[in-house]
Amino acid sequence: MTVNGTPRWTCRTHVKKVLNGNKLTVGPLRNLPVIKDLATDMDPFFEKWVAAEGVHHPSSTRADPIEKIDPQSSARVEIDSAIECINCSICYAACDTVTDSPSYLGPAALQRAWTLLKDAKDANRQTILDAVSGSGGCHNCHSQGSCAVHCPNELNPMKAIADLKRATSLSFLKGGR
Amino acid sequence: MLDIRLYMLQRLSALFMAPFVVVHLAVMTYAIQGGLSTAEILGRTQGSTFWILFYGGFVVAVSIHAAIGLRVLAHEITGVTGMWLAAFTWVLCLAFLFMGMRAVIAVTVL
Repeated sequence: MTVNGTPRWTCRTHVKKVLNGNKLTVGPLRNLPVIKDLATDMDPFFEKWVAAEGVHHPSSTRADPIEKIDPQSSARVEIDSAIECINCSICYAACDTVTDSPSYLGPAALQRAWTLLKDAKDANRQTILDAVSGSGGCHNCHSQGSCAVHCPNELNPMKAIADLKRATSLSFLKGGR
Repeated sequence: MLDIRLYMLQRLSALFMAPFVVVHLAVMTYAIQGGLSTAEILGRTQGSTFWILFYGGFVVAVSIHAAIGLRVLAHEITGVTGMWLAAFTWVLCLAFLFMGMRAVIAVTVL
Protein backbone atom coordinates (compact mmCIF):
# COMPACT_ATOMS: atom_id res chain seq x y z
CA MET A 1 0.00 0.00 0.00
CA THR A 2 0.93 3.63 -0.17
CA VAL A 3 1.37 5.19 3.27
CA ASN A 4 1.77 8.95 3.54
CA GLY A 5 2.72 9.01 -0.13
CA THR A 6 5.36 6.28 0.10
CA PRO A 7 4.98 2.66 -1.05
CA ARG A 8 5.32 0.40 2.00
CA TRP A 9 5.24 -3.26 3.02
CA THR A 10 2.38 -2.33 5.33
CA CYS A 11 1.94 -5.60 7.21
CA ARG A 12 5.57 -5.44 8.35
CA THR A 13 5.99 -1.71 8.93
CA HIS A 14 5.43 -0.29 12.37
CA VAL A 15 3.07 2.64 12.39
CA LYS A 16 5.51 4.71 14.49
CA LYS A 17 8.01 4.61 11.62
CA VAL A 18 5.66 6.20 9.09
CA LEU A 19 3.56 8.67 11.07
CA ASN A 20 3.61 12.17 9.62
CA GLY A 21 2.92 14.36 12.64
CA ASN A 22 0.04 12.39 14.07
CA LYS A 23 -1.52 11.58 10.69
CA LEU A 24 -1.56 8.51 8.53
CA THR A 25 -2.88 8.49 4.96
CA VAL A 26 -3.17 5.12 3.24
CA GLY A 27 -3.84 4.47 -0.43
CA PRO A 28 -3.50 1.74 -3.07
CA LEU A 29 -0.16 0.98 -4.71
CA ARG A 30 0.78 3.29 -7.56
CA ASN A 31 1.16 2.10 -11.20
CA LEU A 32 -1.44 -0.68 -10.88
CA PRO A 33 -5.17 -0.64 -11.72
CA VAL A 34 -7.26 -0.10 -8.61
CA ILE A 35 -10.00 -2.69 -8.07
CA LYS A 36 -11.53 -0.95 -5.07
CA ASP A 37 -10.29 1.18 -2.19
CA LEU A 38 -6.85 -0.23 -1.32
CA ALA A 39 -7.01 -3.33 -3.53
CA THR A 40 -5.04 -3.28 -6.78
CA ASP A 41 -5.02 -5.69 -9.69
CA MET A 42 -1.57 -7.32 -9.66
CA ASP A 43 -2.01 -8.99 -13.08
CA PRO A 44 -0.01 -6.41 -15.09
CA PHE A 45 2.84 -6.79 -12.60
CA PHE A 46 3.06 -10.57 -13.01
CA GLU A 47 2.37 -10.47 -16.75
CA LYS A 48 5.55 -8.45 -17.03
CA TRP A 49 7.49 -11.13 -15.15
CA VAL A 50 6.47 -13.57 -17.88
CA ALA A 51 7.18 -11.00 -20.62
CA ALA A 52 10.70 -10.53 -19.20
CA GLU A 53 11.19 -14.34 -19.41
CA GLY A 54 11.26 -14.46 -15.62
CA VAL A 55 10.46 -18.15 -15.87
CA HIS A 56 12.80 -21.11 -15.50
CA HIS A 57 14.19 -22.59 -18.72
CA PRO A 58 15.33 -26.06 -17.66
CA SER A 59 18.71 -27.35 -18.78
CA SER A 60 17.86 -30.99 -17.98
CA THR A 61 14.87 -33.26 -17.51
CA ARG A 62 13.41 -34.61 -14.27
CA ALA A 63 15.09 -37.93 -15.08
CA ASP A 64 18.54 -36.32 -14.88
CA PRO A 65 20.36 -35.97 -11.57
CA ILE A 66 20.00 -32.60 -9.86
CA GLU A 67 22.81 -30.27 -10.85
CA LYS A 68 24.94 -29.21 -7.89
CA ILE A 69 25.42 -25.51 -7.45
CA ASP A 70 28.29 -24.31 -5.30
CA PRO A 71 26.73 -21.77 -2.92
CA GLN A 72 30.10 -19.98 -2.77
CA SER A 73 30.48 -19.60 -6.55
CA SER A 74 30.68 -15.95 -7.63
CA ALA A 75 27.62 -16.16 -9.94
CA ARG A 76 25.53 -17.65 -7.12
CA VAL A 77 26.76 -15.17 -4.51
CA GLU A 78 25.96 -12.31 -6.89
CA ILE A 79 22.26 -13.21 -7.02
CA ASP A 80 22.02 -14.27 -3.35
CA SER A 81 20.05 -11.23 -2.27
CA ALA A 82 18.05 -10.75 -5.49
CA ILE A 83 16.36 -14.16 -5.21
CA GLU A 84 14.87 -12.99 -1.90
CA CYS A 85 12.34 -10.83 -3.79
CA ILE A 86 8.89 -11.32 -2.24
CA ASN A 87 6.92 -9.99 -5.26
CA CYS A 88 5.37 -7.23 -3.18
CA SER A 89 5.39 -4.78 -6.13
CA ILE A 90 6.64 -1.91 -3.98
CA CYS A 91 9.57 -1.26 -6.35
CA TYR A 92 7.09 -1.28 -9.26
CA ALA A 93 4.88 1.26 -7.48
CA ALA A 94 7.89 3.42 -6.61
CA CYS A 95 9.25 3.50 -10.18
CA ASP A 96 8.65 6.80 -12.02
CA THR A 97 9.65 5.19 -15.33
CA VAL A 98 6.76 2.73 -15.00
CA THR A 99 4.45 5.70 -14.36
CA ASP A 100 5.67 7.58 -17.43
CA SER A 101 6.12 4.57 -19.70
CA PRO A 102 3.48 1.93 -18.89
CA SER A 103 5.00 -0.68 -21.22
CA TYR A 104 8.26 -0.66 -19.21
CA LEU A 105 8.77 -4.08 -17.61
CA GLY A 106 9.72 -2.58 -14.25
CA PRO A 107 12.36 -3.34 -11.63
CA ALA A 108 10.95 -6.57 -10.17
CA ALA A 109 10.48 -8.39 -13.48
CA LEU A 110 13.90 -7.28 -14.71
CA GLN A 111 15.59 -8.31 -11.47
CA ARG A 112 13.88 -11.70 -11.72
CA ALA A 113 15.12 -12.07 -15.32
CA TRP A 114 18.62 -11.14 -14.13
CA THR A 115 18.66 -13.86 -11.46
CA LEU A 116 17.79 -16.41 -14.15
CA LEU A 117 20.44 -15.02 -16.48
CA LYS A 118 22.98 -15.70 -13.73
CA ASP A 119 21.50 -19.13 -12.87
CA ALA A 120 23.75 -21.99 -13.95
CA LYS A 121 20.63 -24.17 -14.30
CA ASP A 122 18.94 -21.87 -16.81
CA ALA A 123 19.34 -23.07 -20.39
CA ASN A 124 18.07 -20.12 -22.37
CA ARG A 125 20.24 -17.12 -21.72
CA GLN A 126 19.71 -15.52 -25.12
CA THR A 127 15.90 -15.70 -24.76
CA ILE A 128 16.18 -13.70 -21.54
CA LEU A 129 18.50 -11.15 -23.15
CA ASP A 130 16.11 -10.76 -26.10
CA ALA A 131 13.10 -10.39 -23.78
CA VAL A 132 14.70 -7.56 -21.79
CA SER A 133 15.97 -5.80 -24.93
CA GLY A 134 12.60 -4.83 -26.42
CA SER A 135 10.98 -1.39 -26.43
CA GLY A 136 9.79 -1.82 -22.80
CA GLY A 137 13.03 -3.44 -21.66
CA CYS A 138 15.88 -2.67 -19.28
CA HIS A 139 17.30 0.14 -21.43
CA ASN A 140 14.44 2.43 -20.38
CA CYS A 141 15.66 2.52 -16.76
CA HIS A 142 16.99 5.98 -15.81
CA SER A 143 18.82 4.63 -12.74
CA GLN A 144 16.87 6.92 -10.43
CA GLY A 145 17.01 4.21 -7.77
CA SER A 146 13.53 4.50 -6.25
CA CYS A 147 13.30 0.69 -6.44
CA ALA A 148 16.39 0.25 -4.28
CA VAL A 149 15.33 3.00 -1.85
CA HIS A 150 11.85 1.59 -1.23
CA CYS A 151 12.47 -2.19 -1.38
CA PRO A 152 11.42 -3.50 2.06
CA ASN A 153 14.00 -6.30 1.79
CA GLU A 154 16.77 -3.84 0.92
CA LEU A 155 17.37 -5.45 -2.48
CA ASN A 156 18.88 -3.45 -5.34
CA PRO A 157 16.96 -4.01 -8.60
CA MET A 158 18.79 -1.01 -10.11
CA LYS A 159 22.06 -2.95 -9.88
CA ALA A 160 20.44 -5.96 -11.56
CA ILE A 161 19.12 -3.73 -14.36
CA ALA A 162 22.56 -2.14 -14.82
CA ASP A 163 24.03 -5.62 -15.23
CA LEU A 164 21.30 -6.52 -17.73
CA LYS A 165 22.28 -3.42 -19.72
CA ARG A 166 25.91 -4.58 -19.68
CA ALA A 167 25.00 -8.15 -20.71
CA THR A 168 22.65 -7.04 -23.52
CA SER A 169 25.20 -4.51 -24.81
CA LEU A 170 27.93 -7.17 -24.94
CA SER A 171 25.54 -9.58 -26.65
CA PHE A 172 24.62 -6.86 -29.18
CA LEU A 173 28.27 -6.07 -29.94
CA LYS A 174 29.10 -9.76 -30.34
CA GLY A 175 26.08 -10.95 -32.25
CA GLY A 176 24.25 -7.88 -33.44
CA ARG A 177 21.09 -8.36 -31.37
CA MET B 1 10.52 3.16 -25.68
CA LEU B 2 14.22 2.43 -26.02
CA ASP B 3 15.10 -0.97 -27.43
CA ILE B 4 18.65 -2.29 -27.57
CA ARG B 5 19.33 -0.82 -31.05
CA LEU B 6 18.35 2.73 -30.08
CA TYR B 7 20.15 2.38 -26.74
CA MET B 8 23.38 1.27 -28.41
CA LEU B 9 23.05 3.93 -31.10
CA GLN B 10 22.75 6.61 -28.41
CA ARG B 11 25.67 5.25 -26.36
CA LEU B 12 27.94 4.77 -29.37
CA SER B 13 27.13 8.25 -30.70
CA ALA B 14 28.04 9.63 -27.25
CA LEU B 15 31.31 7.70 -27.38
CA PHE B 16 31.95 9.18 -30.82
CA MET B 17 31.13 12.73 -29.66
CA ALA B 18 33.46 12.77 -26.63
CA PRO B 19 36.75 13.26 -28.54
CA PHE B 20 35.03 15.74 -30.88
CA VAL B 21 34.00 17.89 -27.91
CA VAL B 22 37.52 17.79 -26.44
CA VAL B 23 39.17 18.78 -29.76
CA HIS B 24 36.50 21.43 -30.41
CA LEU B 25 37.05 23.06 -26.99
CA ALA B 26 40.84 22.86 -27.35
CA VAL B 27 40.74 24.51 -30.79
CA MET B 28 38.34 27.20 -29.55
CA THR B 29 40.68 28.00 -26.65
CA TYR B 30 43.69 28.06 -28.98
CA ALA B 31 41.92 30.30 -31.52
CA ILE B 32 40.86 32.82 -28.86
CA GLN B 33 44.21 32.96 -27.07
CA GLY B 34 46.11 33.32 -30.33
CA GLY B 35 43.89 36.29 -31.23
CA LEU B 36 42.70 34.85 -34.55
CA SER B 37 40.19 36.99 -36.44
CA THR B 38 37.07 35.55 -38.10
CA ALA B 39 38.73 35.87 -41.49
CA GLU B 40 41.82 34.01 -40.26
CA ILE B 41 39.68 31.20 -38.80
CA LEU B 42 37.65 30.89 -42.02
CA GLY B 43 40.90 30.94 -43.97
CA ARG B 44 41.96 27.80 -42.13
CA THR B 45 38.59 25.98 -42.26
CA GLN B 46 37.43 26.74 -45.81
CA GLY B 47 38.36 24.01 -48.24
CA SER B 48 39.79 21.86 -45.46
CA THR B 49 38.79 18.20 -45.86
CA PHE B 50 39.80 17.56 -42.24
CA TRP B 51 37.42 20.16 -40.79
CA ILE B 52 34.59 19.07 -43.12
CA LEU B 53 34.96 15.48 -41.88
CA PHE B 54 35.50 16.56 -38.27
CA TYR B 55 32.46 18.81 -37.89
CA GLY B 56 30.40 16.73 -40.36
CA GLY B 57 31.00 13.66 -38.16
CA PHE B 58 30.21 15.71 -35.06
CA VAL B 59 26.89 16.85 -36.53
CA VAL B 60 25.90 13.29 -37.51
CA ALA B 61 26.66 12.00 -33.99
CA VAL B 62 24.81 14.88 -32.31
CA SER B 63 21.75 14.47 -34.58
CA ILE B 64 21.44 10.78 -33.71
CA HIS B 65 22.18 11.24 -29.99
CA ALA B 66 19.86 14.20 -29.41
CA ALA B 67 16.95 12.78 -31.44
CA ILE B 68 16.96 9.55 -29.39
CA GLY B 69 17.20 11.47 -26.11
CA LEU B 70 14.30 13.73 -27.03
CA ARG B 71 12.33 10.68 -28.19
CA VAL B 72 12.48 9.32 -24.62
CA LEU B 73 11.38 12.67 -23.17
CA ALA B 74 8.52 12.99 -25.68
CA HIS B 75 7.27 9.49 -24.84
CA GLU B 76 7.51 9.88 -21.07
CA ILE B 77 5.99 13.38 -20.96
CA THR B 78 3.23 13.08 -23.58
CA GLY B 79 2.73 9.31 -23.81
CA VAL B 80 3.13 9.33 -27.60
CA THR B 81 4.03 5.90 -29.05
CA GLY B 82 4.25 3.96 -32.33
CA MET B 83 4.42 5.69 -35.69
CA TRP B 84 4.04 9.18 -34.22
CA LEU B 85 7.00 8.62 -31.92
CA ALA B 86 9.07 7.21 -34.79
CA ALA B 87 8.10 10.17 -37.00
CA PHE B 88 8.99 12.61 -34.20
CA THR B 89 12.44 10.99 -33.83
CA TRP B 90 13.16 11.03 -37.58
CA VAL B 91 11.98 14.61 -38.06
CA LEU B 92 14.20 15.81 -35.19
CA CYS B 93 17.19 13.82 -36.44
CA LEU B 94 16.81 15.21 -40.00
CA ALA B 95 16.24 18.76 -38.71
CA PHE B 96 19.43 18.61 -36.60
CA LEU B 97 21.31 17.15 -39.57
CA PHE B 98 20.05 19.92 -41.87
CA MET B 99 20.86 22.75 -39.45
CA GLY B 100 24.24 21.31 -38.47
CA MET B 101 25.35 20.52 -41.99
CA ARG B 102 24.29 24.00 -43.09
CA ALA B 103 26.67 25.44 -40.49
CA VAL B 104 29.46 23.03 -41.44
CA ILE B 105 29.13 23.94 -45.13
CA ALA B 106 29.10 27.64 -44.26
CA VAL B 107 32.48 27.51 -42.54
CA THR B 108 34.22 24.87 -44.65
CA VAL B 109 32.88 25.11 -48.22
CA LEU B 110 31.23 28.46 -48.97
